[in-house]
Amino acid sequence: MLQSYLPILVFATLGILVGGAFVLLNGIIGPRKPNKVKIEPYECGLPSQVQRTFRFGVSFYMLAMLFILFDIEVVFLYPVGVLVSAAGSIFLLVEIIIFVVLLMTALVFVWARGALDWK
Amino acid sequence: MTFTAPQIDYAGLSPIITLTAGVVIVLMVGLLPRAGRWTCSVLTLGVLGTAAGLAIWQWGEHTDLVAGTLRLDELGLAALLIALFAAAVTVILSVREPAAEGAGHGAFYALLLGSVLGMAILSMSQNLVSFFIGLELLSIPLYVLCGSAVRREASLEAGLKYLIIGSVGSATLLYGFALIYGTAGSTDYNEIAQGIRNGGLADDTLILIGTAMAATGLAFKISIAPFHQWTPDVYQGAPTPVTSFMAVATKTVAFIASIRLFELALGPVEASWDGALAVLAVISIAVGNIGALGQDSIKRLLGYSGIAQAGYILSGLVVFDEFGVEAIIFYLAAYALMNLAVFVPLVARERETPFADDIRSVEGLGGSRPLLAWPMTIGLLGLAGIPGTVGFMGKLFLIEAAVGGHFTWIGVAIVVGSMVSLAYYLRVIAAIWMRPEPAGAGAPAIAGASPEAPESNSAPGSTHGGDSSASRPGSTHGGDSSASRPGSTHGGDSSASRPGSPGGSRCWLIVGVGMLCAAATIFFGIDPSPLVDWAANAGQSFDPFAG
Repeated sequence: MLQSYLPILVFATLGILVGGAFVLLNGIIGPRKPNKVKIEPYECGLPSQVQRTFRFGVSFYMLAMLFILFDIEVVFLYPVGVLVSAAGSIFLLVEIIIFVVLLMTALVFVWARGALDWK
Repeated sequence: MTFTAPQIDYAGLSPIITLTAGVVIVLMVGLLPRAGRWTCSVLTLGVLGTAAGLAIWQWGEHTDLVAGTLRLDELGLAALLIALFAAAVTVILSVREPAAEGAGHGAFYALLLGSVLGMAILSMSQNLVSFFIGLELLSIPLYVLCGSAVRREASLEAGLKYLIIGSVGSATLLYGFALIYGTAGSTDYNEIAQGIRNGGLADDTLILIGTAMAATGLAFKISIAPFHQWTPDVYQGAPTPVTSFMAVATKTVAFIASIRLFELALGPVEASWDGALAVLAVISIAVGNIGALGQDSIKRLLGYSGIAQAGYILSGLVVFDEFGVEAIIFYLAAYALMNLAVFVPLVARERETPFADDIRSVEGLGGSRPLLAWPMTIGLLGLAGIPGTVGFMGKLFLIEAAVGGHFTWIGVAIVVGSMVSLAYYLRVIAAIWMRPEPAGAGAPAIAGASPEAPESNSAPGSTHGGDSSASRPGSTHGGDSSASRPGSTHGGDSSASRPGSPGGSRCWLIVGVGMLCAAATIFFGIDPSPLVDWAANAGQSFDPFAG
């Protein structure tokens, strides 16, 4: 039974070896020219330490909100995507098309009202 | 793997499907560059009319829809019809509403339809989950509609206040639902009642706490005292057509939904909640009537009056029998007619005078505009419960139900409350008929013209001055006031760009709606039998009292 865990061991060993080798090589032969942006922790381009006076564009907030809305709604498509061919049901397909049409309506609306324009 | 498509009763769902499609269509049509205010409002009226027609077509059906989460019966359809009527009146009132202009007509009416869709679901739901979905679908568009006059601080404040209070209410309600579900083991109303009966859970602590929290959450929505504080502020701040919709439709549907929840699901616990709700009813009657006494703003006055009316209606729920349910439905229909008869002239006057919703806006109305004065007078008399109006019949049935259900003391509270309410209703009526028209009432508002009216910047002139990006500035309000008051002076912008007199018939539309509501108030007050039969029909379709 323990044998079935062997691939995990191999994977972990390889991962440590390869990863370690690259980090080591990078440390030995890589050039070092640090600047302010480079030494910050990576956080999608946003400053990692937010000051109280930190400001960002209002447009970003709008886009982020819309992204979350559509992102979450698209999650509902996955279960249907898994099922739809196996179920072979027209009903299911029509259901999901109606769902997508409603989403598209929302997209068209926010688009036409200019919520996606970066101002 | 096999998948069997569920059986769907498309006929039973047709009002809901129509409203859903309506939201999408109105929203999209509103985006067309050439869509004016009439395109969207006529389309919305069409959707509402179609839904009403389908609801009438389904009248008499008794089936469970969507795996038992929705119940198609006359009780739900009656609530839906009242809500559709209120929404239609709101659409007519909103055609020239600055808020609708600012928010975009498509979005404004789509939100309204979305709220009506939530009402359709809520009034039919017999499952905790669909109840909550319906409630949120009803509330969220209303939060936005309250704040839709984005250039008025009071409107934004109202929207925010309603959002926060509503969220608190929803959270409380949801917590209560969780406790009920956790104890009774189901979200279906019938199974909850079954679970409580079979498990002997009527005195279970969790069920009682859950019931109390659900009642609290609903009391926030129906504005029952002591959860009413938001009502006057939100009523005053929201655009007046939206206020009229909130006052009538939300209350109706929330009451019908409470009837289902309390009398069906929580029926076995009735002995524990009826006393508590009876006390809330009396507190509401007292708080509402006393609070309304000193109000100068008619919208605030109607807000407090709505709290008192909610107290009256709650007494029908407390008695827990079929007659109580019928009395509630009758009173809700009556309340819709009377309240709309008051709101219609209020909207018209708000746009003609610089006093916004202050009581001065209706002073001298009897002499100058009798066609607006009469609906308002009749509506106010109806709300006070004067014989000859439908309000009297409604109160009669509620008192009869209360006395018959051994809650005579609520009946006494209703009578005393009505007597107190005459003081503030008659004050408005006296202002309409016995005071001279205040100076400058005919001129469309100029910002800051009346320092006492805090909402004076809500008046049409200033809104349109700032709103010059709207499609047709100026002409929007020129119509109403020129048609109704020929020869009166106009504020700068409306006379400057007013092309002819486009608004004659439109003003008559508003007056006509007001007259219609007032006529119905009188008609059903003199011959209530059609409305009584209708309410009895709706009440009998819902029968949890046998078990």
